[in-house]
Amino acid sequence: MLALLEELIDSASRRTAYADARHVRVRSEAVALRNGELDSLDSHEEEGIGVRVRAGGAWAFAAARGSDRAAGAAALTRALELAQAQPRSPERPLAPEPPARGSFASQAQLDPFAVSLEDKLALLAEAGAALRSERRVSVARAFASARVEEKAFASTEGALCEQRITECGGGLAAVAVGETGTQVRSYPGSHSGHVAQAGYEHLLSLDLPGNAPRVAAEAAALLDAPPCPAGRTALVLAGEQLGLQIHESVGHAVELDRVLGGEASYAGTSFVPPDGAGSLRYGSEHMNVTADATLPGALGSFRWDDEGVEAQTIPIVRDGVLGGFLSSRESAAAIGLARSGGCMRAEGFARQPIVRMTNVGLEPGEAGSLVELIGSTPKGVYLETNRSWSIDSRRLHFQFAGEAAWEIEDGRLGRMLRDPVYAGTSPLFWAGLDAVCSPEAWKLASVTNCGKGEPGQMAGVSHGCAPARFVGVLVGSG
Amino acid sequence: MSAPEVSDLAERALAATRPGEALATVTRERSLMLRFAHSAPTQATSVDDLTVEIAALRDGHVGRAATNGVDLDALERCAGAAGRAAEAAARSAGAGDYPGFPAPSPARGHRTRSIPHPCRILHEGHDVDTAVLDPGRGGEALDAACAAARAAGAEASGIWTTASVETAIACSTGTFALDRLTDAFVKVVAFEPGGRSGYGSQTAVAARALDPAAVAARAAQKAVAGAGEPVELAPGTYTVVAEPPATHELLGVLARTAFDGLAHAESRGALTGGLGTRVAAPTVNLSDSPRHPATLPRAFDAEGVPKAPLPLIQDGVAHRVVHDTRSAALAGGASTGHAVAAGGGAEGPLATNLAMAGGGAADERELCRAVERGIYVTRLWYTNVLRPRETLFTAVTRDGTFLIEDGEVTRPLADMRLTDSALGMLSRVEALGARSVLVSDGELYGRRFATGSVCPPLRIGAVAFTGSAARG
Repeated sequence: MLALLEELIDSASRRTAYADARHVRVRSEAVALRNGELDSLDSHEEEGIGVRVRAGGAWAFAAARGSDRAAGAAALTRALELAQAQPRSPERPLAPEPPARGSFASQAQLDPFAVSLEDKLALLAEAGAALRSERRVSVARAFASARVEEKAFASTEGALCEQRITECGGGLAAVAVGETGTQVRSYPGSHSGHVAQAGYEHLLSLDLPGNAPRVAAEAAALLDAPPCPAGRTALVLAGEQLGLQIHESVGHAVELDRVLGGEASYAGTSFVPPDGAGSLRYGSEHMNVTADATLPGALGSFRWDDEGVEAQTIPIVRDGVLGGFLSSRESAAAIGLARSGGCMRAEGFARQPIVRMTNVGLEPGEAGSLVELIGSTPKGVYLETNRSWSIDSRRLHFQFAGEAAWEIEDGRLGRMLRDPVYAGTSPLFWAGLDAVCSPEAWKLASVTNCGKGEPGQMAGVSHGCAPARFVGVLVGSG
Repeated sequence: MSAPEVSDLAERALAATRPGEALATVTRERSLMLRFAHSAPTQATSVDDLTVEIAALRDGHVGRAATNGVDLDALERCAGAAGRAAEAAARSAGAGDYPGFPAPSPARGHRTRSIPHPCRILHEGHDVDTAVLDPGRGGEALDAACAAARAAGAEASGIWTTASVETAIACSTGTFALDRLTDAFVKVVAFEPGGRSGYGSQTAVAARALDPAAVAARAAQKAVAGAGEPVELAPGTYTVVAEPPATHELLGVLARTAFDGLAHAESRGALTGGLGTRVAAPTVNLSDSPRHPATLPRAFDAEGVPKAPLPLIQDGVAHRVVHDTRSAALAGGASTGHAVAAGGGAEGPLATNLAMAGGGAADERELCRAVERGIYVTRLWYTNVLRPRETLFTAVTRDGTFLIEDGEVTRPLADMRLTDSALGMLSRVEALGARSVLVSDGELYGRRFATGSVCPPLRIGAVAFTGSAARG
């Protein structure tokens, strides 16, 4: 495939100043049981070639299915036609980058596609049966997914590289129905459970059957729980919900394409100004956020991004002050950065690369374990697992809902609370961060459904974080 | 690949399956999208791809596989994967509850094996001129939109996109179906120099029906309307005048929470126990209308069941929910033609052609006249459901939020967070605009599946706002 792409790019170099081409082959499988019966069992294979050319200050991209010369030539021809059709725009430079060369494969001990469907179904059936042992659970779902993506990339600047990424994961969800409505508990997270760059061993490590009884019992208990009381209090977040908080109020806000207005028509803009690095107060001194595309096991990791820039570790917030952005070659050059942050990714072969967050995580602090953090909290709320999320188009005002919460009284967890929500404004919320647990409590949470771009693209990313406490947060029920 | 070739490929895919019930779907997409920001082009995308999906049924379990390969080897691999999946499920879980793929209905547009190509397509959802996908037309649209915004003192961001999609279904039950659709969409978010924004969009079957300059002018007028910094309103309940894009979001929430037949059958739907009762103001009439003259028509659902109009709320009374084959079996009824995947999607069936009848108010201005103090909402953003059974959702206003005082739109407002029940809001509809228009999001994730709702502007009483998205 590299030879074909090299030939294609050679042809492109005679017709345009810059072009790159990607061949992408994806194989995926998603299995779900619902109340013990097959809910869905989907397998998917696709491959094709996408060609991107520079036209003044804009990009033109075309994709064609297949893996032969004809597919590549067809994509190149249409990309050039599209470039011609666009209104002229001023040239904009690209930040320089040495050509990417070589190959890379993510770590996977057990090939998830080598495991029989029967084995996967048996694991999910055992977990599902445990969920249904609770009589008030009316919908019990157990699910697993696997994906392998093979990519080859070439550019007119001499890049020629290939990568293979393997992902696997799964989870549980129990829906309990009662007089007061419906309640859901999920494990390990509500968005596809937990998925990692790993093999089948990751799914086994989640111990779905072992966690199912607790998940079901909590779903049923929520039906009888009082609603989360309204007021300002200390809020302890962990795992998926803290990961999503980072994702929405930090990760997206520091995407440089948004900051510069390039995503204004869909995803929106950002409250973060392009000249804010080094001066914008983002949160308290406990807030240290890093974007790391080199993190093993994380969904936003790779060796090169989809314009051939090597994976990097970028300080986003240091001691509460904005330190950097998530950028591409174009957006980096636009604000005078010497190099792209290497954040360009595309979904499959039929979408062009756009700035996507890499693994944006909150660095650990010194507050010990979750138990110790709660122990040092006189009064507050501990909230788990995302139920709903919404944030304005400038990434400023947000509202999140969790599946479950517990009151914290005198350093101990008390009553379970249903329908918890909290709301805030990004920098004010992060200013209230007063403690982060220690490195031993730091874990990855995954988001598999991050949508952005037009036409729309989905991307996966992981967020590392240790449980953290935010003071003066407006919480309630919703 | 022409429409007949797409149909032939569906038949070849079906032929590649092993004995037993199977359904093959081929969806071919050719699409163009041109994006712009700061009144200049940014990213243009041209896609030419297809998906072959095969669903195999074994002992009540449906296994599905998909490929974008078209040779015999790819089709056999895909068919094999679907069959193995269904067989593995049958071995592991015993008999499943899927009753079988739907039988053909020749009277409603299906071709049976005895009727040659082409089968009848009973709608006007395809435009030959649009199917050409002329990128030059897109370039002209961008020029026109940006010029119109500039003329009003604003910068334009947005998209112009068109597509041609052919879908063919071949099923072992004898169902053969072919649908050809085109869609065209333009959207402009205009920004005045101070950063306030305005929105305009237009959706149609034919690209020539779009008027990018008019859409941009409308967006720009909103952006520059009113003087000074946006005012902040305290949380509380306010009367709202909602433009059609905001109504469209409301209907989208209801499609997921109230009209989903699977949730209804599992007693977790918002209309559980509520069919036949009043759930909305008497002036509210809502249906799923796949052949409404203003909608993006669709002939069949993902299981090949013909689309037909379905009343959902009549004179404020809830009448029906939508079903696919699986949810219908669970509920003891028949599919209403709302499957989003053969065998049923994980999220259940979905109404994709919602149409709300208009009312007596001439336009938004007239709707505002009865409002002493309220909020004018152009569109809602980042809508997400909080409690599905109560249709409780939250969203933020965006790109044109204004204060209404003494019957007139007076000043721009800072965006507000709305948290309310969608059915509750429908029950508080005070008046509807006369003209329903087609509204689409145009986000188009995955294989192109353009949908929209036909909806009027609304005046709604006592809408709950829980916060202000104040400027940082």
